[in-house]
Amino acid sequence: MPIELTLNGESIALDIDPRTPLLDVLRDRHGLTGAKAVCREGFCGACTVHIDGQAVPSCLRPIGLLQGCNVVTVEGLTAPGTLNRVQQAFIDHDVVQCGMCFPGMVMTLTTFLDGTPNPNRDEVKSALVGNICRCTGYERIIDAVLSIRSEGVA
Amino acid sequence: MNRPTDPRSVVMNLPRRDALDKLTGRTRYTSDLGVGVLHAAIVRSTVASARILRMDFAPALAIKGVRAIAQASDAPGLFGIGIADHPLLNGTRIRFKGEPLAAIAADTLEIARAAAAAVIVETEPLPAVMTMAEALSPDAPTLHPDWKSYELLRDGGIRGGNVAWEARVIRGDTDAAFARPDVTIVEDCFQVGRQNQLPFEPRCAVASFEDGRYHIHTSTQVPWTVRAVTAKALGVSASRVRVTVPAVGGGFGLKFDCTIEPIAAVLAQKTGRTVSLVHSREEENLTCLCRENAELRIRSAVTAAGEIVGREATVLMDCGAYGGEQVFLTTMTAHTLGGNYKLGSVRLNSRAVYTNTPPNGAFRACNGVYNTFFLERHTDNIARAIGMHPLELRRRAVLGDGDIGATGQVFQGDVLRPMLDRMAVLIDRTKDHRDKADGRLYGRATTVGTWFIFVGPSSATVNLNADGSATLVTSGVEIGSGTMVQALPQIVAATLGLSPDEVIVKSADTDAAGRDLGVGGGRATVSIGAASKMAAERVRDQILDIAAEMLQAQPEDLILTKGRVEIAGRPGTGMAITTAIARAEALFGPVSGNGNFTAPGVNALPGCAAGHFIEAIDIPVFAVHDCEVAVDPDTGHVEVLSYKVVQDVGLALNPRAIHSQIQGGVVQGLGYALHERVTVGPDGALEQPGFEQYLVPLAGDVVPVEIDLYEGAPSIGPLGTKGAGEVPILNVGAAVACAVSRAVGRDVSELPLTPPTVLALIQGRTGRMDHPQISAIWQDNLLARAT
Repeated sequence: MPIELTLNGESIALDIDPRTPLLDVLRDRHGLTGAKAVCREGFCGACTVHIDGQAVPSCLRPIGLLQGCNVVTVEGLTAPGTLNRVQQAFIDHDVVQCGMCFPGMVMTLTTFLDGTPNPNRDEVKSALVGNICRCTGYERIIDAVLSIRSEGVA
Repeated sequence: MNRPTDPRSVVMNLPRRDALDKLTGRTRYTSDLGVGVLHAAIVRSTVASARILRMDFAPALAIKGVRAIAQASDAPGLFGIGIADHPLLNGTRIRFKGEPLAAIAADTLEIARAAAAAVIVETEPLPAVMTMAEALSPDAPTLHPDWKSYELLRDGGIRGGNVAWEARVIRGDTDAAFARPDVTIVEDCFQVGRQNQLPFEPRCAVASFEDGRYHIHTSTQVPWTVRAVTAKALGVSASRVRVTVPAVGGGFGLKFDCTIEPIAAVLAQKTGRTVSLVHSREEENLTCLCRENAELRIRSAVTAAGEIVGREATVLMDCGAYGGEQVFLTTMTAHTLGGNYKLGSVRLNSRAVYTNTPPNGAFRACNGVYNTFFLERHTDNIARAIGMHPLELRRRAVLGDGDIGATGQVFQGDVLRPMLDRMAVLIDRTKDHRDKADGRLYGRATTVGTWFIFVGPSSATVNLNADGSATLVTSGVEIGSGTMVQALPQIVAATLGLSPDEVIVKSADTDAAGRDLGVGGGRATVSIGAASKMAAERVRDQILDIAAEMLQAQPEDLILTKGRVEIAGRPGTGMAITTAIARAEALFGPVSGNGNFTAPGVNALPGCAAGHFIEAIDIPVFAVHDCEVAVDPDTGHVEVLSYKVVQDVGLALNPRAIHSQIQGGVVQGLGYALHERVTVGPDGALEQPGFEQYLVPLAGDVVPVEIDLYEGAPSIGPLGTKGAGEVPILNVGAAVACAVSRAVGRDVSELPLTPPTVLALIQGRTGRMDHPQISAIWQDNLLARAT
């Protein structure tokens, strides 16, 4: 029986091995390469997507468990040509380097800020423990996130 | 026409043009290109040392969907750095566990992997050496019995048996220095393990065979090396190989060598299809070209006034099964371990040693990172032995203007001493964090470090387009450091009076741009930048000549600014640059200019250095780091309380981007210092296949680095720039180790400082480090004597 779910706002039906990781479905079947296959073990966070509004690594989600779920990837996060406030802050603060971890970071921080609109530094760091970055050393990313908070307050 | 470009027109916090795509997931890395192509998997050895008796591919070929097999006979040429000792696919003698023996292309990755697993490899075990001590023992088996017959790619190396390469420095009478009655002699042994670069994008390549030529699309820092090595391995002309590079998902030196690219090329040629070869995370980690493990014995003769009159050291660097980068890196000991300080006399022996373990490679500031750790800890021990404050010893002993380095190179300008002063100011400006130690052991240390910019050949072309924009064509690649999206467009834009977003930068294509040494060693902004600046200046001069004629002015009186040619000091009197371009096209055609750059060469003292690839460094780079730590006496856990960097940057073209590089580099160094640990198991395999075992810094582990950019030190880089991305990692291991050592009151002799290691130190369970494999008599470690 096909697995039916919503992907970036569109209904899809998949007749495939239910053990297939969502990550492979996104990349291999739908050409959605924004989620990166870096560790495939749930440690790095580079494949993070939203499933029913939660930021989770797509490598550990067998497609068979996603019947009826609403999946949003970084490609479907915003309308084409627009950025959300996390992406905009990362551009404004020039924090991107190689870029491989950033789609995952954006997905994690977007839901984090929805639930915690005015975080402190430690809360941002805690939110990021599941998203490893090898280039930046994190702190300037955290500055960028905190700027969203202070702008929101102001 | 000599028309200097005003640095003030170049310097800016230019944002990255690639950030939007990277943040929206649209950037296509090499590892994203594998749709609709064949997939490849590598057949790897399962033992560390063996003779191959037979390989049977029939069971693999019987699997439906298998399209081609690549094996040793497809790539007969050996390659390497300094020595050609490395086969692409090994068909005769296995030298490390995980060594590529063959590769299979199939319709899907699953089929390719199943087929690779089905290949029968029959072997006969050979004795193996897993450590450098074993490799150097008199009765050790030789990994490369045919070492004498290998092609030498560079003269001058001293080689023999399991010593792939030996580089020596001898300057002055060291024996006399150590025999002086007025000196204190301090001797130490140190060691470090390997460090995995762990870029998020693994090594990968997508190859096709078009019009009789190999086209390799790959994640690399060195497109021209990939071109040359592919040609050498496959035994074809280099002109038959084209290498193109999209965005690279991190490199850190791992991708400064050619590795799997030629395998994809062979399979593409055999199948006539596009073939994607992407390392799995486990393959990537277990065959990672790590920063090498190393062992050192060092001895110094120092006067009561802190004058280092004699220094001798022997460094063992594990190159793994093949020489690779370590052969070159033997050179860098002279400039790092032999750096920082004035030495009355010195002798250094740097040895790359073969072991039956995965080959090592280049990693950001390479052996400079551990040599700086060794040197700075040794310096602290000297200070203690002569009863001088460690900072005072450094102030007195650091190299200054006119002082000579280990190989006799004369250093220009006082840099390290004023940088130490600037660090003192930075420290004064912020309170210390002793209160945060909260009952734990507190330590602080300031360390110095010397690294270099790896210059060498680069070329560039600038095409001035009819719309007034410019296209810069080089062999540069964007690995995350920002050179291609910030520094280069800044330099070209300032020269041509454009804004940086009017400069199009073409990423590497060896069919389109001239030869280049690659992006690494801090060289891109300097070498590609210098070539780009020259190319842009040639374009500028042509346009100014044309415009001068049109305006009936002298070219010297004209400037390019804001897309216009203006008479200097009289804005609005000139014309749009597009008008001058149109005139040029009518007269002689489109305007373009070429630029090039190479290492100018700096002199060493003749006869001081043997076996070195670089006897003196063209652009030294200095760094001063300061670190505060708190050590938990019950668990051995080290917390970094603060971290400060004063970095020699020449001219900071983009201060904000340099700050990003420093924060990132320091954090990679903190991982090295504290918890990034690669170990070699009894079977010769690396024991950290994934992120679960190999611990990189997480957001909660780091601190914001306080930064002071030191400008104005001499540099031959364009506008006085130096590379800023490589050096931030240089003395992190050193600073943390010295701080921890002071906190716990014990000698720190190895990294990483994991809690068990630190706890053993605190509890006095760590004996004094000794390396029996390195003789205390310096001469006895030389190859000529040993054989």
